[in-house]
Amino acid sequence: MSHHLFLLSPSDTPLYSLTHHSTKPVPSTTSPLASNLPTWSTSAFAGTLTALSGASSATQHTTGGGVRMGGGQDRHVIQMIANASLDAIEDTMRKENTMYLKSVDKFNEWTVSAFVTAGNMKFVLLHEGKNDEGIRGFFAEVWELYVKTMMNPFHTAHSTIRSNVFDSRVRASARKYL
Amino acid sequence: MAYTQPHPRLSVLSTSSQSSVEHLSPTASSTRFSLPSAPSIQATLNKAAPHRPNIYDRNLNKTRGTEVSASAFAFLFSEVVQYTQKRVNGINDLERRLNTLGYRIGTRVLELMVWRAESSSKTPKRETRFLPALMSIHTQVWKAVFGKAADAIEKSVENADEYMIIDNDPPIERYISVPRDMSQLSCSSFTAGIVEAVLDGLGFPARVTAHNTPTSQFPSRTTILIKLEKSVLDREELMKQ
Repeated sequence: MSHHLFLLSPSDTPLYSLTHHSTKPVPSTTSPLASNLPTWSTSAFAGTLTALSGASSATQHTTGGGVRMGGGQDRHVIQMIANASLDAIEDTMRKENTMYLKSVDKFNEWTVSAFVTAGNMKFVLLHEGKNDEGIRGFFAEVWELYVKTMMNPFHTAHSTIRSNVFDSRVRASARKYL
Repeated sequence: MAYTQPHPRLSVLSTSSQSSVEHLSPTASSTRFSLPSAPSIQATLNKAAPHRPNIYDRNLNKTRGTEVSASAFAFLFSEVVQYTQKRVNGINDLERRLNTLGYRIGTRVLELMVWRAESSSKTPKRETRFLPALMSIHTQVWKAVFGKAADAIEKSVENADEYMIIDNDPPIERYISVPRDMSQLSCSSFTAGIVEAVLDGLGFPARVTAHNTPTSQFPSRTTILIKLEKSVLDREELMKQ
């Protein structure tokens, strides 16, 4: 089961992105084909299968050669889903006054959850299956890390986040919650 | 005159970043900032680097109640104004630069202030309506930045898109006396920049300016004038229904 996180600036420029492969089991909501395969291969194929099932992208199959790239080759599909969800997010954030907008958009197996900070920074997470509490906890930690990044005078709202420490902290909380 | 370019903020940011690079080089800086001690500072920094705590290790609530000495800030702000004044032509330009400097602070104030208020809550909230947002600027932002709430909020009678925040004695102007020939200058443009950033961040784009409105009782009374974009008013109108 993979997760894709995008941090978008107020002008919707991506500042940071992360692909996380969860070790937790794939819930039964995924495609029946995927659940028939052994666990090691479902996690490797899940991203590809779900993307292929809806989007007619001519992705070439790299048959699991040990390297688990996961969503690597359907990266463009993932980005398209994340971009498309922005409309839904902007609609919802005008109506709701909560920061955490759970399941704002759906595309095939992907569910999009978002978190909007006070300064209109958007965290967009693509995930399969339902994990509201985990995602809430994950977003809370990413939020804190982002505010700390923001306090750095050399960081502006539109500069990409390249800090290694930020990256490893986000990865750690992804392992913890997702 | 001040807003002839389509995107004044962007253009100001880009030019100021270029010029700041110039001023970082010791040759370009004026003689009063001769830097004989620079190499030694560099050396100590390098030595200390491995032990320096990372920004991600720091607790954001640690400095919550700490205050900055007013005199230290007065010196710093005096330098800010002098630095800016050397690089501008005209009062409008000076105010615009001060506004830009304040804007950079405002974006941070907003994120940090809201994080401190909301992060302990299970369902953190954002402000989506304009009037509560204006109230929170008047109290929360002012308290976070100046340690006290502003003195009044007013709504313009003539123009529906104009709101005013009034401070009878702005702390940042307490030690500034503006020369007579620059009497229209208000150094609270810096504060106006903070307000503009907070409003922008919350999704209420506006043009914010500062004006001196002295009364006999409060000679340094300042009005922060907020002129909202039309989209904000339209949206508020829709949300009323």
